[in-house]
Amino acid sequence: MNSSFAKPLAVASSLVVAALALAGCSASSNNAASGGGGTLTVDTSFVLKTLDPGLVYEQTGNIIVHALYETLVTYEGSDVTTVKPELASKWEQSEDGTTWTFTLNPEATFSDGSAVTADDVVFSLTRLQNLQGSSSQTVADLTFAAEGEDTVVVTSPTPNPNVPVVLAMPAASILNAAEAEKLGATSDADAASTDTVGTQLDEVSVGSGPYTIKSYDSSSKVVLEVNKDYWGDAPDYSRVVVQNVDVQNQKLTISRAKADEIALDLSGPQAAELSGDLQISGVADTSYFLSVNQDPAVSEVTSNPAFVAALRASVDGAGIAKLFGEGATAAAGLVPPAFGGALDESDVQPQDIDLATSLLEEAGISSPKVDLVYPAITYRGVDLGTIVTKVQQDAKKAGIDIELQPQPINVFLQSQSEGKNEINFSPNSLNYPAADSLVNNMAPGASTSLRVGWTTDRADARAVEASNAVNAEVTPEGRTEAMVEWQKVMNETSPYVVLANNAGIVVATSNLDGASYTPAGWTVDIAAITAK
Amino acid sequence: MPALLQMIGRRLISAIILLWGVTVVTFALMTIVPGDPAAANLSQQAYDDPELRAAFERKWGLDQPIWVQYGRYIVNLFHGDLGVSQQTHRPITQDLAQYIPATLEIALPAMILAIVIAVALGMIAATRKGSAVDGGIRGISLVGLSTPPFWLALVALYVFFYALGVVPNGGRLSNDYDPPPTITGMYSLDALFAGQWDVFADAVWHLILPVGILTALSVSGLLRFVRSAMIEVLDAEYIRAATAKGLPPRTITWRHVFKAGLLPVLTVSGLMFASLLGGAVLVEQVLSWPGLGQYAYKSALSLDLQAILGVTLFIAVVYTLINLLVDVLYTIVDPRIGAK
Repeated sequence: MNSSFAKPLAVASSLVVAALALAGCSASSNNAASGGGGTLTVDTSFVLKTLDPGLVYEQTGNIIVHALYETLVTYEGSDVTTVKPELASKWEQSEDGTTWTFTLNPEATFSDGSAVTADDVVFSLTRLQNLQGSSSQTVADLTFAAEGEDTVVVTSPTPNPNVPVVLAMPAASILNAAEAEKLGATSDADAASTDTVGTQLDEVSVGSGPYTIKSYDSSSKVVLEVNKDYWGDAPDYSRVVVQNVDVQNQKLTISRAKADEIALDLSGPQAAELSGDLQISGVADTSYFLSVNQDPAVSEVTSNPAFVAALRASVDGAGIAKLFGEGATAAAGLVPPAFGGALDESDVQPQDIDLATSLLEEAGISSPKVDLVYPAITYRGVDLGTIVTKVQQDAKKAGIDIELQPQPINVFLQSQSEGKNEINFSPNSLNYPAADSLVNNMAPGASTSLRVGWTTDRADARAVEASNAVNAEVTPEGRTEAMVEWQKVMNETSPYVVLANNAGIVVATSNLDGASYTPAGWTVDIAAITAK
Repeated sequence: MPALLQMIGRRLISAIILLWGVTVVTFALMTIVPGDPAAANLSQQAYDDPELRAAFERKWGLDQPIWVQYGRYIVNLFHGDLGVSQQTHRPITQDLAQYIPATLEIALPAMILAIVIAVALGMIAATRKGSAVDGGIRGISLVGLSTPPFWLALVALYVFFYALGVVPNGGRLSNDYDPPPTITGMYSLDALFAGQWDVFADAVWHLILPVGILTALSVSGLLRFVRSAMIEVLDAEYIRAATAKGLPPRTITWRHVFKAGLLPVLTVSGLMFASLLGGAVLVEQVLSWPGLGQYAYKSALSLDLQAILGVTLFIAVVYTLINLLVDVLYTIVDPRIGAK
């Protein structure tokens, strides 16, 4: 029997090829270099829920909010050692370190032309507190007051030299209060339930930043257009498209890009494979560590200080850093190298299996078996299972038998919080770019420490003293110095076993300037990117 | 006809019961699945703060007993309110209205192409059973069935985008274009209706890769069914009788074999289409296609109960309607089935 399908099939195939050719000819792609009013493309794997500064917390949201709004102070480029003026032209700290006075720049205006006033600042920061979102903690203890039109007074119950740092974060962005209130925003104490802005700030921005929102789609792309009435220096690109691109896809996309494009999520090994004249910048701002449970009710083994010391001695930090690829380093302390106060490379504890073995023997711990719980995710391009497998192998050399327990991320976050895991493993980034912010979370009795039962009465007195010493300092310089000592004490007495530091990376086409990774909290300053 | 209407009526009633069951099972499963939505949506430090955790639970009604949450959900459902998504902060209905057309836009053409190609190749294979052509076609089917969707999407992206540069790297439109005015939510159709020919061409260009991949994946499974169904019919006595009577091969093929072999193909096609509508998660993820699959995946990651329920209900409705449609088509293709 003759088949009568070959001819229709051939016709159909020809139609498909013709469609390909036709569509490919008529569709365009952004190949030519623009700048000077053109479009900048930002490729990132979206972690985006909102563009409301009072609620923003995720990475993609922070990048975009930083371009739409401004804060009292800010950071420039990758330098996170010195805050710079933005909406505030000057600020001063009281002698006891509890009061900060910010004077607003009289030239600062919102996108609708109205002046930025002290009332707008108080409204925005109070709203941030009262919405009780993830970022509200950073300003939880502060009070804000307006003195006249252009002065804002920020008060802390304890000396806090980090007030400017906190107020540089995207969550501390200043909204046009009048416009925000029209949308249903409120700074009242019960804002968590009475604020009715909803998703409106995803469609409309009410800030003073160099860009405004053109369109918002949290699953595919957010388009920004230049704020024509921006009071500062106009950005080079009049249009920015932040598009959701899978990490594997980002590598291919940036490799083919000719101009005006950046990719934000490639890992060290992926960046190392890129060819051509792409620009790669990165800063080691993420630390990876083990947390060992100190509650004897959870584990007699892990709560033994000798076990923690033995585990610490068995770690091959340099080997772990190699797994992360370019930009990664063995960790010397809990503060990543990107931030002031980080320990020197010479402080990295080398692997010492003999020491580990002898510590266990002296403590009478024989063939310990422990569970290590970790989130089964890929973080910054690296499968965390690879890291913990290395830890397991290293520990085995010292006679420590680690059973790996991968968990889905949500389950891990919950189990970690319940405090019953023998050992946790997770990456850690600072809430804001001040090393001493770690003390708030990791001192004995603080939230991160309680996840592993490290209470003040179980802690070595030196750890408590070192933490108090950091908090007693009223200047950033004093705290940075105190952090060096704090980390050394933590390396000896804490349940944290540091492993490695990893870099966040920005890859940019060669025609761009200013597309550098920043550990400040917004990954890259979109508005600062220019075409050469 | 009255019998048909009765059948449709009975099926619709059972569909309502089925959908209610889906809500019960989904709610029950969500209480069993480990993980706390607050942990999925708050920062680690915020989650450790009892006050912030409580505020989150109050905001999303998670502080209420599960039967209260379920009761509220059912009452709202009767008012067409599927709740608000924790990840997008928008009404679920609004989310579905956006993501369903995006998936339809790739699923529909993929299914049509897959059916045409699978029927053509399946019939060629069936009519040349045992030949090298038949072997080749079955080989293609086997390779397709064995190919992981994620791998195929990555390879296709590498070859057609990176190496050859003939397709874009994903997404629905190039950055130079704004979406057309919304009528169907499918960019290609909406651009056509609006007369935006450049946007239409660009939208079609962006469809090529995801539609091609989904077609390739769908053809493989369908092909085997078509071939099997056609071979079964070709071996039937009445076909041999028709051949012996001297009917032309073309007449036998189209008038008898094709029609009879179509019935099982309809069933499989329907189920396959429902599966595609449920979201080709991996393909959408690799190609950054903002469809239902991606939405469902992110909802699952965030333990966003209301969004998960919304997607589940939609998929249940789709399967129910498609099964009903297939049954109706059966009676049209073969009236004897309707008479039974």
